[in-house]
Amino acid sequence: MMNWAAASPEIFLAVAGMAILLFGVLLKKENAALCTMLVLGAFAATFVMVMQTVPQTAYSSLFVTDAFASYAKLLILAGGALTMVLSLDYNERQGIGRFEFPVLMLFSTVGMMTMASAANLMTLYMGLELMSLSIYVLAAFAREELRSAEAGLKYFVLSALASGLLLYGISLTYGFAGTMDFAKLPDAVTGVDGVSTGLMVGIAFVIAGLAFKLSAVPFHMWTPDVYEGAPTPVTAFMSTAPKVAPFVVLLRVLIGPFGHVSVQWQPIIEVVSIASMLLGSFAAIGQTNIKRLMAYSSIGHMGYALVGLAPGTESGVRGVLIYLLTYVAMSAGAFACVIAMRRQGKSVERISDLAGLAKTDLPLASLLTLFMFSMAGVPPFAGFFGKLYVFLAAVQSGLWLLAIVGILTSVVACYYYIRIIKVMFFDAPAPAFDTRSASVSFVAIASGMFTLLFVLALGPFTGAAEAAARVLFG
Amino acid sequence: MHLVLANYFPVLVFLAIALGIGGAMVGGSMLVARQMPYAEKVSAYECGFEAFGDARRRFDVRFYLVAILFIIFDLEVAFLFPWAISLGRIGLFGFFSMLAFLGVLTVGFIYEWCKGALEWE
Amino acid sequence: MLFATAVFAPLLGALLAGLPGRVLGDRAAQLIAICFMLLASVCGVAAWVQHIYLGVPNGVVPVADWITAGDFRLQWALQYDTLSTTMVAMVTCVATLIHIYSVGYMAHERFTTSRFFGYLSLFSFSMLMLVTANNLVQLFFGWEGVGLCSYLLIGYWYDRPSACAAAIKAMIVNRVGDLSFALGIAAVFLRFGVVDFSTIFAAVPAHVDDMYHLLGTDFRAYEVIGVLLFIGAMGKSAQIFLHTWLPDAMEGPTPVSALIHAATMVTAGVFLMARMSPLMEYAPGALGMVTFIGATTCLFAATIGCVQNDIKRVIAYSTCSQLGYMFLAAGVGAYQASVFHLITHAFFKALLFLCAGSVIHAMSDEQDMRKMGGIWRRVPVTYAAMWMGSLALGGVFPFAGYFSKDAILNAAFESGSGIGLYGFACGSAAAFLTAFYSGRLLFMTFHGAPRADHHTMEHVHESPLTMTGPLMALSVGAVLAGWWFYPQFIGSLQQAYWQGALFNGANNHVLQRLEDVPAVIALLPSVLGLAGFAIAVWFYIINTALPVRLAERFRPVYLFLLNKWYFDELYDRIFVKPAWFLARLLWHTGDETLIDGVPNGLAELTVDGSRQAVRIQTGSIAIYAFTMLIGLVGLVSIFLFNR
Repeated sequence: MMNWAAASPEIFLAVAGMAILLFGVLLKKENAALCTMLVLGAFAATFVMVMQTVPQTAYSSLFVTDAFASYAKLLILAGGALTMVLSLDYNERQGIGRFEFPVLMLFSTVGMMTMASAANLMTLYMGLELMSLSIYVLAAFAREELRSAEAGLKYFVLSALASGLLLYGISLTYGFAGTMDFAKLPDAVTGVDGVSTGLMVGIAFVIAGLAFKLSAVPFHMWTPDVYEGAPTPVTAFMSTAPKVAPFVVLLRVLIGPFGHVSVQWQPIIEVVSIASMLLGSFAAIGQTNIKRLMAYSSIGHMGYALVGLAPGTESGVRGVLIYLLTYVAMSAGAFACVIAMRRQGKSVERISDLAGLAKTDLPLASLLTLFMFSMAGVPPFAGFFGKLYVFLAAVQSGLWLLAIVGILTSVVACYYYIRIIKVMFFDAPAPAFDTRSASVSFVAIASGMFTLLFVLALGPFTGAAEAAARVLFG
Repeated sequence: MHLVLANYFPVLVFLAIALGIGGAMVGGSMLVARQMPYAEKVSAYECGFEAFGDARRRFDVRFYLVAILFIIFDLEVAFLFPWAISLGRIGLFGFFSMLAFLGVLTVGFIYEWCKGALEWE
Repeated sequence: MLFATAVFAPLLGALLAGLPGRVLGDRAAQLIAICFMLLASVCGVAAWVQHIYLGVPNGVVPVADWITAGDFRLQWALQYDTLSTTMVAMVTCVATLIHIYSVGYMAHERFTTSRFFGYLSLFSFSMLMLVTANNLVQLFFGWEGVGLCSYLLIGYWYDRPSACAAAIKAMIVNRVGDLSFALGIAAVFLRFGVVDFSTIFAAVPAHVDDMYHLLGTDFRAYEVIGVLLFIGAMGKSAQIFLHTWLPDAMEGPTPVSALIHAATMVTAGVFLMARMSPLMEYAPGALGMVTFIGATTCLFAATIGCVQNDIKRVIAYSTCSQLGYMFLAAGVGAYQASVFHLITHAFFKALLFLCAGSVIHAMSDEQDMRKMGGIWRRVPVTYAAMWMGSLALGGVFPFAGYFSKDAILNAAFESGSGIGLYGFACGSAAAFLTAFYSGRLLFMTFHGAPRADHHTMEHVHESPLTMTGPLMALSVGAVLAGWWFYPQFIGSLQQAYWQGALFNGANNHVLQRLEDVPAVIALLPSVLGLAGFAIAVWFYIINTALPVRLAERFRPVYLFLLNKWYFDELYDRIFVKPAWFLARLLWHTGDETLIDGVPNGLAELTVDGSRQAVRIQTGSIAIYAFTMLIGLVGLVSIFLFNR
């Protein structure tokens, strides 16, 4: 008898999503805020359900729930929920407050959770597509606005290409290995005469498809344009949970089925990681738009996180998981600050708009400073520990090049993070921003507290990440 | 591994035959037929009229909408066929699986209906 | 408890008066600082009385754990023995008097003086930490603490460039000594593995024959340690070669000069020698050096003191010279005499400085003695106090200085060694000069025709009670301290008094032989002192033209002395100029060109790289897709090449 309960959080979330969709469409009046609240409630319930799942494999080993998946799912839910709260006020003021928005986010989240639990390349692909399809629509959600529509279309076309690559990779893998099951792949991968070329090409394609979602170089080209064009809450969303899900899938695939051929894929990850770190730090320097800057920043961050994957060791995976955790918090907080940038009813996005913020709005300036310091990796903020753990793992495995490039690019990245702080604290003040709503403040402060106090709760979080990482290494 | 590839051999044969026939038709006419092009002959031909307007003109988005909605239900039917045939062997579980699928589609249907996607005006 | 209160009350006073001083205002801050100092002095004296007269035994007062690193454990703890209680009682009493004096002296300050009182109290605390330390590291803490406070107080008037320069000079010159001291501590630690005194002293006899092997020569470990510690002491106590900061330190307010640069901090070096006596006794070579340096300083500073014109500088050189006496005593093994002189000197030298301050106060901030004179009727209390201080300094019976200085010279004579005799000769000559310049100072300042302008003379007045009160209190000390303490410190009762706090080696019988000196030798200091005063009377009262003629006649000698043996010029040439040159070189070439050049170049490269990196971001989907595919091809190639 099949074990139904394995996917109960996902099933519950999906059913709740459909119910909210029906509710929203049947109510026939402005109810975006209400639906958002309902979705948040569903998230909360799912969060609790995920916490209570037991490790098992289900549905003919298409689906697995273990500590690793749970860690990822909780992180995804938290990231989704935070950005959802951000959308509440922004959409309202921007005139795109429609109830489909939270529902789409919800479906995207279901897709990501499925990815996190994928035990088969097919499940992976299904989750990925569910996630991406929802994001295409979200990116173009402000459809009256040219940039938003352009962002949606660009993301759609390029993502379709990437999906094609991924699918091609999956089919190559299946073709050469004869199975898509993570559990069976290791045996199939190692034939009598080593790993076949076709299979390796397949792996490369799978990596490419996932790297696109991570916006890792050289599959990053969409990121700045889409980040800039999409409505800010969507950008915030894209830079949190939808980065986590592909990353954990990448971890699971490369460490699990392809773990013992790590020598083969390691150079790819190294190249991608170094390129991402370099581009993320260098290209951001000249940016004037803060969302674009955040896009390059997220490219760079993915590069740092990949540093932890490259060694293919347990401590590396632990580092990546911690990195993702801190990254989600910092990103959500930073974007909360970006959303708070609003002057006379209009959203402003230039860095120069932040000028003298410390004089007009010290709390906001302090919070943004906190996030920038954390992203730059200044101790004792959360971002520092993420970097610390991944670099540590790299060094332990003798991957000095990665650690050195990582640290050097961190220094370069410091420049543009700290430049924002300089603009806020030392430039002549621009007119004050509009008063921000409680929801935005809530996200900013919550993320800020996490970033600031992470050092105090280092033990529990590291413990959870370690437990999650251990799963992958049996 | 070779076994897996061997299973695809008929597909390869099929592809080869299709290519062969298609190539033979186009190539044959090119080789055998007499080619005497002149202005009238190579100009656009549209039911005996001159072409009016640009072919790259904007269609109403509703055409796409209808087409997309059609595809969804088309696929639904495409899934229903194999299900119907094998219903006896997949038992209650199979039955309810399809019902769940239909339920999801129904939700989508209700949504598009209420949104007015099915109305032309 | 009493003892700990004496040590920590000034800290509390410093914190309460110094930090919120701006809010509290002057009066409150002064009141707080003085109250805590009073408390400290009462407790300090009480602790001393308990120890000496009520028979509370030696001990250690633990305060808190400090450092625990591996096997190395260190505590904050207070040493409770005769040496520390004596020092605590002296420091707290003098500090309290000077606190009170400062209220009057600093009354005309433009800005709030809470900072001043905060520093003073903090200094007192540091000094107490220094003298009560039960280990070398804690002693070093106090050592650096007093150095810091000295720096802050010398530069108290930070709007005067000369004060800032003097403060920096004091700090830097002290660095030299402190480095050596730190090395000495390290050497002790390496040798004994611990830094607390009781353990070290217990282990001293076990390491007597340890050697350091360096550059083909063997050095006895104790000699090396002793010399290192002594160089540290030289810096703090302004002995020759490291003395240059002390006269300049007179830029600070006069109470500071009295407290820090006369009575307490500068004697820290002497204290160190006394404290380390169980170790020093095993380092005869180092003691010889102590004697030599002490004796030389004693004479050298006295010669300069004879020609200086700034009233405070005269006293500063006198301090230098007296410190030389103390080292001379320590060098010949008469630590008791050394500490005795330290205590008496604290009284009469603080008194002299405070009198000088009072005079300066009266003369509208004039410090040049050539512009004083003829004011003794207007400032009777100051005048009387100054006389008592000078007589004590000059070593005239029965004032305090007589007993201690006499003991030192006798000890030097009795030590029997050549270096001891050298010390005796220098000390005797210095005793003569001391009396001479003391007299010169008195007569130039108070007697003769007024040389100040009319306006200043109109304003000459006796200082308020807050200033004259401490003068009178210290005068009592200057008169009686020698006579009162003589039997206990170095006389018949000394064994019972010190209770083992100071150590004399098995062959060191200097103290016992003090009374055996020939009468001629014993009388010599007094005779020389009186002669010095007599000559001063001759020069500055009777035949006032003579000094000028002498200066004309022996102009090179006069200039040599006036310019303080050209030490400052010499150091400027040897150390300061090359340091400036090196600094300029490193600044312009090293820093501006090389070190700045690299990051600037890198920054430009970075900006350029950024520009290039963004260039491909055109917004065209085709290019994006193309990049992806090229990237994929690249990755697959890596994959295939890597197999």
